[in-house]
Amino acid sequence: MPMYIADYKKFDVINGKGLRHSLFTSGCTHHCKGCFNAATWNFNYGTPYTKELEDRIIADLNMLDVKIAGLSILGGEPFQNVEGLSPLISRVRRECPGKDIWIWSGYTFEEIVADANKLKLLSDCDVLIDGKFMLEERNLKLKWRGSNNQRVIHIQESLRAGQAISYE
Amino acid sequence: MLVIKRDGSEVAFNQQKIIDAICAAMNSTEKKVDLELAHNLADKVTRKISKLDKVDIEHIQDEVQSALMNSRRKDVAEAYIGYREVRTLKRRERSSLDRKVLGLLELTNEEVLKENSNKDGATIPTQRDLLAGIMAKDFAQTYMIPKLVVEAHNSGDLHFHDQDYSPYFPIYNCMLIDLKGMLENGFKLGNAQIETPKSITTATAITAQIIAQVASHIYGGNTINEIDKILAPYVLESFKKHYRRGLEWLYMVDESEISELDISWENEELHEKYPRCLDYAKRLTEKETFDAFQSLEYEINTLVSANGQTPFSTFGFGRGLSWAERQIQISILQNRIRGLGRDGKTAIFPKLIFAIEDGVNLKPSDPNYDIKQLALKCSTLRMYPDIISVPKVKEITGSFKFPMGCRSFLGEYEENGELLHDGRFNMGVVTANLPRIAIRAQGSEEKFYRLLDELLEACKEGLLYRIERLKGVKAKVAPILYMEGAAGSRLQAEDAIDHLLENGRASISLGYIGIHETMMALYGKSIFEDEVLPAKGLQIVKYLSRKTAEWKEETGYGFSLYSTPAESLCYRFCKLDEEKFGVIPGVTDKGYYTNSFHLDVNKKVTPFEKIEFEQVYPQYANGGFITYCEFDSLVHNPEALEAVWDYAYERVPYFGTNTPTDKCLECGYEGEFEATNSGFKCPNCGNSNPKTSSVIRRCCGYLSEPSQRPFNAGKQKEVLSRVKHM
Repeated sequence: MPMYIADYKKFDVINGKGLRHSLFTSGCTHHCKGCFNAATWNFNYGTPYTKELEDRIIADLNMLDVKIAGLSILGGEPFQNVEGLSPLISRVRRECPGKDIWIWSGYTFEEIVADANKLKLLSDCDVLIDGKFMLEERNLKLKWRGSNNQRVIHIQESLRAGQAISYE
Repeated sequence: MLVIKRDGSEVAFNQQKIIDAICAAMNSTEKKVDLELAHNLADKVTRKISKLDKVDIEHIQDEVQSALMNSRRKDVAEAYIGYREVRTLKRRERSSLDRKVLGLLELTNEEVLKENSNKDGATIPTQRDLLAGIMAKDFAQTYMIPKLVVEAHNSGDLHFHDQDYSPYFPIYNCMLIDLKGMLENGFKLGNAQIETPKSITTATAITAQIIAQVASHIYGGNTINEIDKILAPYVLESFKKHYRRGLEWLYMVDESEISELDISWENEELHEKYPRCLDYAKRLTEKETFDAFQSLEYEINTLVSANGQTPFSTFGFGRGLSWAERQIQISILQNRIRGLGRDGKTAIFPKLIFAIEDGVNLKPSDPNYDIKQLALKCSTLRMYPDIISVPKVKEITGSFKFPMGCRSFLGEYEENGELLHDGRFNMGVVTANLPRIAIRAQGSEEKFYRLLDELLEACKEGLLYRIERLKGVKAKVAPILYMEGAAGSRLQAEDAIDHLLENGRASISLGYIGIHETMMALYGKSIFEDEVLPAKGLQIVKYLSRKTAEWKEETGYGFSLYSTPAESLCYRFCKLDEEKFGVIPGVTDKGYYTNSFHLDVNKKVTPFEKIEFEQVYPQYANGGFITYCEFDSLVHNPEALEAVWDYAYERVPYFGTNTPTDKCLECGYEGEFEATNSGFKCPNCGNSNPKTSSVIRRCCGYLSEPSQRPFNAGKQKEVLSRVKHM
């Protein structure tokens, strides 16, 4: 099944540090109460992911006249689109030096590292915002996340340490 | 027989009054007075009405008119009719003036009360100012401004700005205050002679007093150009003061010995000898500087000028590299970040503008890069500072300077072989309604330019009158400006100020509005969604620019092209055109006209596209310009704002970001409040109490607090239409 894309947002200042581009994948089975993007639960929502879009994202990340910090991947649930995302993430790593990758998930860091497939995707990224959105824990004062239970995790340090280490 | 007057009162009939009226009419004709005929005609009228007990004044006048028509002096009849018409018109005007005054008294005159979002129309001092404004405008329109200009203004072809102050008063618009000259040479303020300050605390206290005084003598904004450089010497004075204290208490140096030492920031030999003293003096001076700028910010926000409002004041800073200059920059930004009062509310004044320059603060390797980071943080939290690109301002206006008030820029001018900026001013603005002539041109470019020429003649006449009104004015009308040095001169009371106006020392500006709507009206397409139109839009601005250059050449006065901010004008022109031409999609249907060369606020574009689109205009509109972009809250992301600032630095001279900086004083949320019909609501906790909300929006060049003082209808529509550029 091809990966579907709910949205691609060029120049995003909300999701992650610095000026970024954001990709929203379609499909999520967590169905958190109060989800800000419930339309994207459907795996066929939006448009199919294409090579053209991939090329565009790479070019947008490498644009010269504006300093782009990196790529943000949100959902849906990106970790339920591991196969679809892997080629893109590999290319960003290869072709976009100095750009970081932030990824959002309803799974916790511990759940992701316990699954070899998901771990592989995670290990190519830099920052993980993890955990389900919990309406009763909703807090708009938080950076980059919606509820108190969610964490902003420094992926590489966490993998080295074998436990979640927070970013900043 | 009784005569019923217009106000309903009754007086005894008096035939002499008819004779007087006929004679007055006769006197204005070529054949002059014929007393015998006047008596005969008056008798005739009296006979006709004598059977009545009571007679209406209008009835008597009708009879006089018909008697004159039937006489051999038709010329007198004509004069009499003309005289009656003028009187009728005058009475109507009088009653409309009365209505305005009554509307002010009963707080129902929205037009006057909400004209300026910086004025609280309900308070007594502001009401006095508004009342004076109503009278001044009425008098100026009736007796001062050239008739052609008055008609063009009232019909909405052009806007002769600030008639509530000028030309009734010989007063100018905005300025760069010569604070340096005033502090260095001393001046008189009220009853006190002020000498050069001996500390930064005194220097900022005096600065506040000067700003208040200046703001009461001009109607536009005032700017302290490079305040970090101007006030740095007084930081060093404070340093010396603390150093002396340190020598005395830390090292027990004798007072007589201290007085012989050369205490200065540069005297490293001394610092080596008394290292703790250097530390002590530095720390205390830094604290004193911070406190001094805190007081200054409080003073400016609590002041009310004689114009019934907080002074429109701007601080420009950022280029100074010395320790003292850096301390001033840091103090200004840290105070703004901290906020006002217990709740840390965003200060509305002064407007802050931060100058960015390669080698100073642009790159991480620059000496003031840390202050750029502070400025970024401040801007995400408090919307100010806006930024100035030093190289672009030099390129476009010929030399570096900050704008006067919110966006008016002076051109290059030399005095005694040196560039001069401080003490110069703008004599005022007349703005052309471009969308209207575009509507009238009905798609014909040739007709548009023909109508534009006519319109510009009227604008020019208005501007020349503004200059004329200031000529011959004596220094004594505004001692602070002309005698005590704020305008860079020390004239005697009876001296005329003419030389301050001439040779481009002062600017006089043609404003324009609505390039976006002009394109829509002329070509039926949006300027942004077309290949050819951007060049057409620019062509108009170039044309206006050439005209002002011609006028400058012809008159010797500093004509410039100004991108009018149009706080209430965006609404007024659009409303008048909708009344005249009906609803035209994309032109009169939005309830506002777009500012100057700006892209319509509801166009969904990235900030980079917006900057790219607008960057070609300032070099032609070099008497005033700014580019804005709208963002979501950037409180958590100053890095993103830096990417945008760096992009803007290369392309536009003057750039501001509108980001939500609202704060909920109940739950502590910082970000954007939701605009609802009943006001503004915190998205985190639902609080909508204006008393515990701080909601700040930019209204033209300045910030304001719409939850406390609502915008006028057009501005509100424009604000609601704003889309985020990210």
